[in-house]
Amino acid sequence: MSQVINFSLRRLLPISRTAYICVKNTFAFNARSQSSKVTSKSKVDDVLNNLTDWETLSKKKKISKAMKAYLERAREHDEFMKKQHLEFNIGMRHLANMMGEDPETFTQKDVDRAIEYLFPSGIYDPAARPLMKPPEEVFPARKAAEFDEAGRPHHFLFYTGKPNFFKLLFDAVDNIQQLYNFEDKVIRKKATPDPNGSVNLGNSHWLTKEQLEQTLVEKITDLEYDNFKVVMERLVSLPYSYRHKDFIEKYRKPLAAQRFALEIPKPSYDDEGRAFVTTYECLRKKARGDVTIKSPGTGKIIINGQDITYFDDIQSREQVLFPLIFTGMQNVVDVICNIEGGGPSGQSGAIRWGIAWGLRSFVDKEMLQKMQVAGLLTRDHRRRERKKPGQPGARKKPTWKRR
Amino acid sequence: MLSRSSRLLCRRYSQAVNFRTNELSPTQHNDDQIGLFYTLKPEVCKQLFQHGGFPKSFMKQTKTFTETTLMVRRPAIDLMNCIKASDLNKPVIRYVLYGEKGTGKSLTMAHLLHYAHEEGFLIVHVPWVSEWLRRVPRHKEMSNSQSHEGFVDLPLDAATWLLHFKNQNQTLLKNGELNINKEYVWSKREKTEAGAPLSELVEHGINRVKYACDVIDALIYEIKQLSESRKCKTFVAIDGFNSFFYPLTRLSTPTKKTVKPEEVTLTSSFKELTKNNWTNGVILLTADQLAVPDDHQESYLPKYLLRKEGFDHLDPFVPVEVRRYTDKEYLSCASYYRDRLWLRGPPEIDTELKFTSACNPFTFMEQCAPL
Repeated sequence: MSQVINFSLRRLLPISRTAYICVKNTFAFNARSQSSKVTSKSKVDDVLNNLTDWETLSKKKKISKAMKAYLERAREHDEFMKKQHLEFNIGMRHLANMMGEDPETFTQKDVDRAIEYLFPSGIYDPAARPLMKPPEEVFPARKAAEFDEAGRPHHFLFYTGKPNFFKLLFDAVDNIQQLYNFEDKVIRKKATPDPNGSVNLGNSHWLTKEQLEQTLVEKITDLEYDNFKVVMERLVSLPYSYRHKDFIEKYRKPLAAQRFALEIPKPSYDDEGRAFVTTYECLRKKARGDVTIKSPGTGKIIINGQDITYFDDIQSREQVLFPLIFTGMQNVVDVICNIEGGGPSGQSGAIRWGIAWGLRSFVDKEMLQKMQVAGLLTRDHRRRERKKPGQPGARKKPTWKRR
Repeated sequence: MLSRSSRLLCRRYSQAVNFRTNELSPTQHNDDQIGLFYTLKPEVCKQLFQHGGFPKSFMKQTKTFTETTLMVRRPAIDLMNCIKASDLNKPVIRYVLYGEKGTGKSLTMAHLLHYAHEEGFLIVHVPWVSEWLRRVPRHKEMSNSQSHEGFVDLPLDAATWLLHFKNQNQTLLKNGELNINKEYVWSKREKTEAGAPLSELVEHGINRVKYACDVIDALIYEIKQLSESRKCKTFVAIDGFNSFFYPLTRLSTPTKKTVKPEEVTLTSSFKELTKNNWTNGVILLTADQLAVPDDHQESYLPKYLLRKEGFDHLDPFVPVEVRRYTDKEYLSCASYYRDRLWLRGPPEIDTELKFTSACNPFTFMEQCAPL
């Protein structure tokens, strides 16, 4: 390529030997600052702008077609987003008027409620139901213009293809190096580390691959994600990692159990002064019911007015007893439940969830976490899958024949 | 024997709970021994229960544990006290045992049989009525009865039962002065004279199967007479009495007509026996859900199971409920199973099993089986 340039330059300018040398120096200068995206012509123009030849001055600055298209697209997208924003805001105000509320104090939650009321939908997937959200959430995020008009990228790692991701790794490694230096300094000064500082990792975990992709607006492969985790673990394992606490916190998410602690109901007191908690809407498969747990009790279980012999088989009885035995409260609480619908398996599953959900009020935090890990507190949402036409069952297919 | 006791000592999970009692005779059982197990001697077992009396699962358990043990429970003790306290000059008292499936009615009856045997009663024991009326292998030997018109006989069953009766009452029949006081003519050449011992009547029935049901009728009449005249005291035990009153049986005549229980001679014989027009005896019956087919097993209460006619027939009776295990009994049973190595595992599963089996003795035994 440089040969071509040499050649064209020679033809363009009537130069002497000295001029040739001068040109060579400029080329060396060019080699340092790479330009592979944009054609050589504009780069040459840049260089030649320094030379005040009238030919070059009269030449127009040429932008490549790709560059032009890209800039056009970016501009269009910005305009589009602005328009969407405007529409959204106007729409929100209209909606507030329709619902008879004050447009000034109409929040996103109110919008959601209003849409659910006006357009009730029986569709299973929440993403397929009618929604009205600010445009940032609806349209996927794009990166702003990554390089300027001349084609020079803004980000110093642009040519890796995933600048944000690699910048993240770069920062992490930078932090690690800083911590090493800091540790060396401390050892040299023979000072002791600050005992208060430590990063608490017990109740949080690293962002998942999807979440990381969303924050970085870039696609990541599995290998790269594993690398990311390795680097962050390394950073965290160093003794002075608390110095970069903010950086680490940005990429950690709290575990789900934290959320539960906020929603535990308080027990109410009945006529005899016993604390009790009722869980309504216990469902599993087709069984529906409610469960009441009374606190100072003797371990009696009453299902629809009958003893635990309501269930004939061992598995159903075990399901009902499992939460009580797991928390060790089989002789401490009474359970009264009413269920209908479904069969023994569904009913016993519903009661089990109901008991576990009710026991949250009588159990301490550590046991709560254990219950959550044991899967007692998750609602089993599996339902019978529909049989499809052309197949004997939901998944079963007729005999497969190769030909 | 010594090695067994040392094994008992070093067993890992042996609990310090005492579950055995050394009182082998039911006459000595009283309130202190509720919840404890006592062992039956093998000869007694053989004599009393050779042809039935224990439920099948219990027989299997005796083979596994190589010993026959029964738990002393409250209903049995109550009944024994009642019997001891009752005045035998009055007409017979009828006791009906009832309870849910698997709570121990048949075994309580077995316990009381042993007691009766110790006390020297003459035992009339029907191990399981449904065996006659509902358990039909391919073809049941039936014949039309000769003495009663339109009735159906079950000769083989009757003969087996006579054999059972003979076994149970060996001692009494041998040395007693139990003589019949009527003459029975069976056919031109066979007859039993008045004054002959009861055992002769029984032998005749066993040998001549054709007349077995009539022999049973005669026997019952004689037993009533003997009891009235104070020659012996009788203990009647019938398990599954309510199947006499259920409208259908599984029997059918060769003409494919289904037979109702009222048309079977045995029913009338035993109904005759359970009337309270005689003295010097005790009648113990059970009303069991398992004796009737599954459609009618909704409730375990006697009135439902015995139906109108049965209830009227038995009208003044003493109902005795057999309940599930209490905590103490449960603990004792669990330690017994551990001792016999029927139940293994950490002590925590005891509480779990208690709830899962809902303290029902039968389900408890079943659930320990795979453990």
